[in-house]
Amino acid sequence: MDHRSLLERWLRGIALALVVVFFMFPILWIVLMSLQTNETILRSPPSVVFTPTLQNYAALISGRLETEAGALDIAFMSNLMNSVILSVGSVALALVLGVPAAYAFARHRFRGSEDIAFTLLSFRFAPPLLVLLPLTLYFQDLGLADTYFGLIWVYQLICLPLILWIVRGYFEDISPDIELAYRIAGHSWWATFRRIALPLAGPGIAAAGLLAFIFAWNNFIFALVLASADKQPVTVGALAFVTASGIQYGQIAAAVVLSIAPTLALALWAQRYLVEGLSLGAVKG
Amino acid sequence: MTTLRIENLTRRFSGQTVLRDVSLEVPSGSTLVLFGPSGAGKTVLLRLIAGALEPDAGRILIGGRDMAGVPPEERGVGMAFQNFALFPHMSAFDNIAAPLVARGVPGARVREAVEAVARLLKIDHVLAHPPRALSNGQKQRTALARALVAEPALLLLDDPLRNVDAKLRFEMRLELPRLLSGRGATVVHVTQDYREAMALGDRIAVLDEGRIMQEGSPADIYLRPATIGIAQLFGDPAVNLLDVVPAADEGVHVALSGRRLSLDPGYAHAAGRACVLGLRPEAIGFAPDPAAPDAVPVTVEAETPLNEKIVTLVVTAGGREILVSRPLGTPGPAMGPAAIRIDSARALLFDRATGRRIAPGRSAPAEAAA
Amino acid sequence: MTATTGTARRRLRVAQGVLPYLLSLPALLACIGILIPFGTAVYYSLQRFRLSQPWNRGMNWGDNYIAFLGDPGFWNTLRISLTYAFLTVGLELVLGLGIALLLQRRTRINNAVSIMLLMPLMTAPALAALMFKLMTNPNFGILSYVAGLLGFPDMRWGASPSTALLTVVMVDIWVYTPFMMILLLAGLRSLPSQPFEAAALDGVPRWQQFWRITLPMLMPYILTASLFRLLDSIQQFDIIYAMTQGGPGDTLMVFQVEAYLTFFQSTNVGRSAALLIILWAITFVLSNIFIKNWLRLRARARGVS
Repeated sequence: MDHRSLLERWLRGIALALVVVFFMFPILWIVLMSLQTNETILRSPPSVVFTPTLQNYAALISGRLETEAGALDIAFMSNLMNSVILSVGSVALALVLGVPAAYAFARHRFRGSEDIAFTLLSFRFAPPLLVLLPLTLYFQDLGLADTYFGLIWVYQLICLPLILWIVRGYFEDISPDIELAYRIAGHSWWATFRRIALPLAGPGIAAAGLLAFIFAWNNFIFALVLASADKQPVTVGALAFVTASGIQYGQIAAAVVLSIAPTLALALWAQRYLVEGLSLGAVKG
Repeated sequence: MTTLRIENLTRRFSGQTVLRDVSLEVPSGSTLVLFGPSGAGKTVLLRLIAGALEPDAGRILIGGRDMAGVPPEERGVGMAFQNFALFPHMSAFDNIAAPLVARGVPGARVREAVEAVARLLKIDHVLAHPPRALSNGQKQRTALARALVAEPALLLLDDPLRNVDAKLRFEMRLELPRLLSGRGATVVHVTQDYREAMALGDRIAVLDEGRIMQEGSPADIYLRPATIGIAQLFGDPAVNLLDVVPAADEGVHVALSGRRLSLDPGYAHAAGRACVLGLRPEAIGFAPDPAAPDAVPVTVEAETPLNEKIVTLVVTAGGREILVSRPLGTPGPAMGPAAIRIDSARALLFDRATGRRIAPGRSAPAEAAA
Repeated sequence: MTATTGTARRRLRVAQGVLPYLLSLPALLACIGILIPFGTAVYYSLQRFRLSQPWNRGMNWGDNYIAFLGDPGFWNTLRISLTYAFLTVGLELVLGLGIALLLQRRTRINNAVSIMLLMPLMTAPALAALMFKLMTNPNFGILSYVAGLLGFPDMRWGASPSTALLTVVMVDIWVYTPFMMILLLAGLRSLPSQPFEAAALDGVPRWQQFWRITLPMLMPYILTASLFRLLDSIQQFDIIYAMTQGGPGDTLMVFQVEAYLTFFQSTNVGRSAALLIILWAITFVLSNIFIKNWLRLRARARGVS
């Protein structure tokens, strides 16, 4: 590997630098923008020399936006709260529904098990609007239109296949003999599931849960179609905020930063599980 | 006391019958070895007894109790696995203690019992380690300790010596009977190693293609194998098989390289039938005098040591290859022409068409069941 | 006594057989709840159904589909969706493979970069579009400024029909190239080293090693990752809707945006449903090919581990 020429090493270095710039610059720029007032943002040519200010964040967190035209209430913090409720709720429900099913699919080849597993997987790939548009009409009739639960249920379209297929792989990796050994030792099926299968699949369950959380958080279309104004998560809320706040660019940037920060932090924290999760277990990280 | 009875057990997997009408009885306190090639159905049979699988037909009775529908945790058996199946997230101590914890034994007594069995198996110094920190031998002893600790009346050993190195396997082969005899447990031991089967079994059941091919004492199976297949499975090097047609004039004999090899006169009823002669390598010796009437002239082709034996490959004038074995350190012939002498009392005779052994009749040439 | 224990045991045995169904039942129910709207969509697609004209609703069987044949809007949608999907996946594949090759060796810098590249992928695509919208703002956007420096002073990015596609493709590349890169990098790092050592001993130049060894061995990963992305990309909604809402005009009217606007603006439920069924048919074919590839790769990943 040492026969790389100096020229090649230079070219590689430049290419790598370009890659880092292209992929990191937008995030850096939006963070910088969120720390500026409109005045410095609108300067031309753009400059990185400015006095950082936290007033954009303060306005978002206090929920009041002072402009020349007067005070404006902003619902961004409630959007953030909605995102937390929807994502945590969806992942919790998906784990409750998905982990036992994943165990059943991994351990018992019962009639129809593969068909059900594939039907669930195919949800991952079907156009979401196909299900969402009829649901808007049903949700009115069912009284789910303005509820967190209705959204959380629909979020299972993203979370459930992910949990099911990743966790199933982890259960399959546990030797059935280990569970049999625990049962022969005198423990019930339920005790074996709790004390052997769950702890051994624990890392996989955690990874799938984290990834499901990220996908639920990042979802846009479900909430755009189904959520009423007071149930909107950040993805939809930030877009509405652009229209509402007009030219308050600093606040928009701060809102974007607050919206993407949780998933980025989680992703960096759990990065070693991500590869396997992203490919639904087809590629080991 | 716990007798294991298996009656007409059948089990299919997606249309394939892996166990076919298997019946066995293991008397209380005795050891039965299930022996057979891989894929014979040994492991399935053991899992049926343990309750991991339910049979499609037939019954399993442990201590007289029908086990149909009884889950594994209520069968009161202990089991050691070929791959050890230790709980990877628990220490060796907790692994061994699991059966006691399930039975609600108080903590102090658990500690006492685990330490006692660990001392017996010489793993008391590694009890705090997780399985990944144990050597293969220690893992295997931990698995055995876990199977033994609750003093189960029925012990299932699924080839527990398979995944340890040869030296450990040999040690454990000597140690196991001592460990088991004191406990009075009924044992079913699965193995693919005929030496292990002969060393450990009070009785051996030979399983092949889902059927019991023969059941008997180790000596029975070695000296009177029911079929050619079983004769080949027991013994290393394997039995020599020669196609012969016995003739019955002036006693029963077969022709071998132009010499007459006399057989037990009880084989008279097999005269004229297409047969296979089975000769164990140790039942053949070298003849000091090639001119002797019972000596068969051969050519010595190759010689190789095998464990505590020396195995010689010889070829008869007719081109038949025969393996001869003799104890290490005893003199043998040089390469080239020599002669062998066959101990015909130890010869086995099989029907070539059915593969079944032909038993010598006592007096009248009556057909005897193998 | 034997009779009672007999029945008790039979009940237990039944419970053992039912257990897997019991465990998967809740997930199944959630599943069925989602299958019902799917059926409804098929039903709507066969109807004359406008929310604004409830009195005029009725079955018209295949008319919505037949109408597409002479509907330039539909052909535009099909063309744009396919162009978008193949353009993004193609570019992301080339870029992703290139970056994966750059990062193949496990050095500290390479690992740091590959972790860094996770960040765009973990950004919500709708928010990424918003970020690029700010960056391409004609008043203060840094990209508009850079375009001006490079001699395109009036670059209007997403607002101009000539550059709108370029703009959303750029956002898509920013978000999803790391996905390709991560999968291909994992693939590259899992390749056995013997063929490369043998080739090096035979004096095969590195450039040829890439074409003759790396690429063929990486093919299953490339196929899986590309199909996966193609399935997502042909359904792209978030980026395009957040950036331009399908505009300007009908420049970016991909399937889901068109169906969304047909439903909520034109309130033509029948046409919207028919559009989505056609999109579903395309993804169904693609997903069957994908799942076959993916299962093979997954079995291998599980087998090796």
